[in-house]
Amino acid sequence: MTRCFSIFIVTLVLSLVTTGWAAAQNDWWNGDPTFVTPIEESAVVAERPLSEIGQQKTELDSTALALIVSQSMADVLAYNSAIFVKQYGRGSLATVSFRGTAASHTQVTWNGMKINSPMLGMTDFSMIPSYFTDRAALLHGSSSLSVTGGGLGGAILLETAPEVREGLELNAVLGAGSFGTWDGFLKIGYGTGRWQFNTRFAATLSRNDFTYRNYNKKVYTFDEAGLPTGKYYPIDTNRCGSIRDLHLLQEVYYKVDNNNKLNFNFWYTGSLRGVPMLSVDYREGTSYTNQQAENTMRSVLGWDHTGDSYILNSKAGWLHTRQNYDFARDKGNGTMAAMVASRSNINTFHAQSELKLFLAEHLMLNAQLAAYQHFVKSTDRNALSSADASPADKITIGYEEARFETSAYMGVKWNATSRLGLAAALREELYGNSLSPLIPVINVDYLITNKLTAKASASRNFRYPTLNDLYFLPGGNPDLLPESGYSYDAGLAFADARADAWSLKASATWFDSYIDNWIVWIPTFKGYWTPRNVRKVHAYGIESRAEGKLRLADDWMAEGVGSFAWTPSINHGDPADWADEAIGKQIVYVPKFSGSAVASLLYKSYKLTYKWCWYSERYTTSDNDMATRIGRVLPYIMNDIVLEKRFAAGGTGITLKLAVNNIFNEEYESVLNRPMPGRNFELFIEITPHFIK
Amino acid sequence: MKYGPREEEAFSIDLSRSGLFVINEGNYMYGNASLSYYDPATGAVENEVFARSNGFLLGDVAQSAVMYDGLLWVVVNNSGVIFALDPATFREVRRITGFTSPRYIHFLGPHKAYVTQIWDPRIYIVDPTACTITGYIETDMDFETGSTEMMVQIGKYVYINCWSYQNRILMIDTDTDTITKELVVGIQPSALIKDCNGKLWTITDGGYEGSPYGHERATLARIDADNFVIEKTFTFDYGDTPRALTTSSDGRWLYWINDGVYKMPAEAQIPPSEPIIASGGTIYYSLTISPENGDIYVSDAIDYTQSGVVMRYSASGILLGTFNVGVNPGNFCWRAAQ
Repeated sequence: MTRCFSIFIVTLVLSLVTTGWAAAQNDWWNGDPTFVTPIEESAVVAERPLSEIGQQKTELDSTALALIVSQSMADVLAYNSAIFVKQYGRGSLATVSFRGTAASHTQVTWNGMKINSPMLGMTDFSMIPSYFTDRAALLHGSSSLSVTGGGLGGAILLETAPEVREGLELNAVLGAGSFGTWDGFLKIGYGTGRWQFNTRFAATLSRNDFTYRNYNKKVYTFDEAGLPTGKYYPIDTNRCGSIRDLHLLQEVYYKVDNNNKLNFNFWYTGSLRGVPMLSVDYREGTSYTNQQAENTMRSVLGWDHTGDSYILNSKAGWLHTRQNYDFARDKGNGTMAAMVASRSNINTFHAQSELKLFLAEHLMLNAQLAAYQHFVKSTDRNALSSADASPADKITIGYEEARFETSAYMGVKWNATSRLGLAAALREELYGNSLSPLIPVINVDYLITNKLTAKASASRNFRYPTLNDLYFLPGGNPDLLPESGYSYDAGLAFADARADAWSLKASATWFDSYIDNWIVWIPTFKGYWTPRNVRKVHAYGIESRAEGKLRLADDWMAEGVGSFAWTPSINHGDPADWADEAIGKQIVYVPKFSGSAVASLLYKSYKLTYKWCWYSERYTTSDNDMATRIGRVLPYIMNDIVLEKRFAAGGTGITLKLAVNNIFNEEYESVLNRPMPGRNFELFIEITPHFIK
Repeated sequence: MKYGPREEEAFSIDLSRSGLFVINEGNYMYGNASLSYYDPATGAVENEVFARSNGFLLGDVAQSAVMYDGLLWVVVNNSGVIFALDPATFREVRRITGFTSPRYIHFLGPHKAYVTQIWDPRIYIVDPTACTITGYIETDMDFETGSTEMMVQIGKYVYINCWSYQNRILMIDTDTDTITKELVVGIQPSALIKDCNGKLWTITDGGYEGSPYGHERATLARIDADNFVIEKTFTFDYGDTPRALTTSSDGRWLYWINDGVYKMPAEAQIPPSEPIIASGGTIYYSLTISPENGDIYVSDAIDYTQSGVVMRYSASGILLGTFNVGVNPGNFCWRAAQ
């Protein structure tokens, strides 16, 4: 498989280089391949659209998405925001959470369609390649209510976008990295006056068999008499961690006329990944199959209509996921015996419409209606069909449920004066036979100066239980209550720039959330886990972000972005019993502090980027036990560098990139006893041939 | 504290006094199982003694432990390993690997022991001296449904309860290492013990609501080992969750948790209607009885994600003290005074 893949990518490189010729005039590959670009004049006032009054929104720069093409959105978010990315290993499950909340409190949309698992409530960001994302934005806290409900922490909006082009365009990236990693990416675009077609492929193969010093085990040495002579921490290999991912994205855009546009997006993911074993597992990886197979298809059909005083946007979509988890062991004769064969099958049908009605120049009415119909079948393991059954007579344990969900939103946005913007909205959600309370949100912003804006919002928040929360067998809790509460935030945003000299944007926001009935899965003495409501969680803190550019000389430029968050998330629930020490303590696996920074130095066609991220300690026990020597996930800092060089060769743009990850070879864990790799390397060649129109 | 080599501490426990090991399961897939040691004479407790003594971790889900041949044998379920420790220093002296998912170890001699498994239908035969797996006892279960748990020996026979989605007690001839008989009991027998009269006792948890295998009321059943038949069955109410069945060291008294802690003579004709220790809002998790004075030790896992607590009661149920242990204290093991 790896050999075939290698042949494929070599063939691809040769064909791309030989087919790239005559170029368009304004593209870097035909002229000066410099990274240094003009800095534009800007200020807050220029970035204050009516639809975003008072919103706490972070838009990720396109260069952040494109920096390392093989990175998942989990990697992008880890280095370009202060939200917490929890990684279960390299190429393993990665979840994100805002403002001291849990992963299921982050709502994720792709081209407007919510893609959180209806079973788990969360999204695996390791399965979202940045190569398939043209625009990404974070809506913090109650700002997410303008898009969807349930985002107690916030929402992440992922979008693909049409490029205006005539003729054929092509971009290919090939990568090779440590641990037997091969990456291939291809984008083919074709455009006419009305049509735009984009096809993208992303493929990753990796043995992912990195080695690490395992401080959780010891190996003893003995002399010939069998007496111990010494002991050491072994160099272990990441076991069962292989990755085989294939993604396909097809986009079609059709401009009917100036007022009507249609789009169709289809995204397929086929993934076969090992589930890495814990560092405290003594079983031989070669004797076990421990893997997850996923096939996911997401499709969205959209229509955008622009009238004289309104914009109407309608979408319909379908999402299908089939996920298999298999845990099997070699019986000793080469045949594998299944121990766990978990299967889940999800079909979601989606329809949504949004109307933006401009009642006056500074007054907009915004209405949304979204509906999701989920069909879920989940089986976790096989068991005998009854107490009287013969050993061969087995039945799968699981559940099959359907749920209809609707979310309606109505809001008014008004620039009351040239300095004051006001927005008020109501959201209402229906899930199954239950109705949420009315969810109001109020946003205010005020232009203090042309460069400084104050923003504030207040809202109710609400999230209903997932299907696994309610129905999973064993453990689902049909009596579970939805999570609800109130959120407030206020902050300042600053922006200034001097043309072709420097630019600076900075923001700082205080937030405060009270969440009742927070849902947590906990073990039971029956041997399985079950969700229950923790009465009240108080999540509060500060988020800040700064980004800027500085022209150092004609051919030199520096740019950077940094984020920092302080996120206490405190359990104020009722004690489980008299001995409960968890009250008043930080929620498990929520860091109190997080930070990230990306800084680049650009010189002509060279670019050097330094990436940095930091998380404070994450507690693994609800009583935040600091005396323990076995249950601490210590703070860690990651440092990566990326060196890029562009070449313009006969109309073909070629970029070489070398990435060194974890440059200081830090030994660390993101999740308790899940090994992470040390220093590793990736080399990429990106080719952009340009074709005659 | 920094991620890296772990400090090794030197312990030197006074073996002339008895001691209590608390086996803290930790959380599944966290790898935070631990071992606590309690000195009943002084009330002193040392937590995480395995990691502190050996400089590495015990593993993922410590299930059980037993003293044999002067060593403490700890079965770590989801790490697939059994460690043998020096009880005075807590230092590892032996290690057996190669298991699928070990639950309990039962010694037949210095060179032979049985190890039960979940997700593996075989009962492993090991040589604990050589630390090797020497054979298997095959059952009619398969890997998906295989579950063997606690072991009790009477004469040359070892009896094993099959718990997860099972309803059987197996009778194994230790001469031939084969199953000679099976006895059907209630759904999911979670424990198996022996009383002073040579009778077997099991608690069946009845499964759970919605289980395709069935859901019924939990039971406490007495089994005549000689004839391998159920002699008596006490049936609990729906919603009751009896567990942690154990005996006094002389086998004359049975104890279990069902919200509160219950105590019953081995010859009782009806079960007690009132607990000897009421729960008082505490969620009791496991229990053990002091072989020296009959004190009752009951663990509380609290919310299952924080350090647990063990409460020590007198034999008559009077609280004598508490001490903190590790996450999910699910089992105990006594070390007799030397």
